[in-house]
Amino acid sequence: MAIPTVKALLSVWLGLLVLLGLTTASAYLDLGVGNGVANLVIAIIKVSLIALFYMHLRHATATVRLAAGAALLFLFFLAFLSFGDFLTRSRNSTPWRAPQTTSATGDTY
Amino acid sequence: MSVPAEHFATAEDQRQAAELGMWVFLTTELMFFAPLFLGYAYNRWAYASAFAEASRHTDVVIGTVNTAILLTSSLFMALAVRATQLGHRRPTQVFLLVTATLGAIFLGLKGLEYAHEWDEHLVPWLDFRFAPGNAHGAALFYYLYFGMTGLHATHLTIGIAMACVFAFRLRTQPAQHLRNQIETGALYWHFVDAIWVFLYPILYLVNRHG
Repeated sequence: MAIPTVKALLSVWLGLLVLLGLTTASAYLDLGVGNGVANLVIAIIKVSLIALFYMHLRHATATVRLAAGAALLFLFFLAFLSFGDFLTRSRNSTPWRAPQTTSATGDTY
Repeated sequence: MSVPAEHFATAEDQRQAAELGMWVFLTTELMFFAPLFLGYAYNRWAYASAFAEASRHTDVVIGTVNTAILLTSSLFMALAVRATQLGHRRPTQVFLLVTATLGAIFLGLKGLEYAHEWDEHLVPWLDFRFAPGNAHGAALFYYLYFGMTGLHATHLTIGIAMACVFAFRLRTQPAQHLRNQIETGALYWHFVDAIWVFLYPILYLVNRHG
């Protein structure tokens, strides 16, 4: 297992702080949809740096990479299937109606 | 490297098993956090203006400082792992304690923030007050805010306890004996940090301009 140099660890930390500065500064500019996109892209870059260098994914075995990849795959399933539903249905549902009562004989339907 | 447990051929095998085990656990942890992010995504889409307005009431200064503190704690955790791998016991102990201290400072600031939010009536269910029109969506934002940051703080507390236990055990044991534990514990710490990296922009930075 490769032991990282102090210089490499410090560089990653500096990079993370610069990205934090960028994400905070960008939030004060009116970029429209770009604000949310910038925040998300920067967060993904930061987490990638943490995963690759601090969590050693860069030198990890194929099995470990597969386990990490499986997490992302299931995250995709969760988001894709849920939003496939939410984004394709109207939020205005049918007004609530009182349920029909059962008949006097007690028959159920 | 210490002697491996009997069902492992080599110490390297044991190390890799520990690493894989922690990654699988982190996968389940991601599944634990993911529904909260999903709930956030849905409600931000459904109550866009309320979420923008509610986010402006969070304390962006404490949020930003706390993000920097957590990123720095990850640096010290990575340095602790490096020191363990080199077999340097004393530096490992120091780095672990610095990591735990930074985590504790984060929690302290978070508590201060919760107190501000309590004063400003931003805690749903408990005397929540918000401008009419956006009150329902804003309450949903703060449910998610307290749920997500609360779950994150719980994880961080466990991480701090873990770092302290490792530092304590290093008083009597050489660094090599605790190498697997510290390496896998560090993976957990970095994961908790990574969760915060996503929480920070979605909770503090929605619509800061204007």
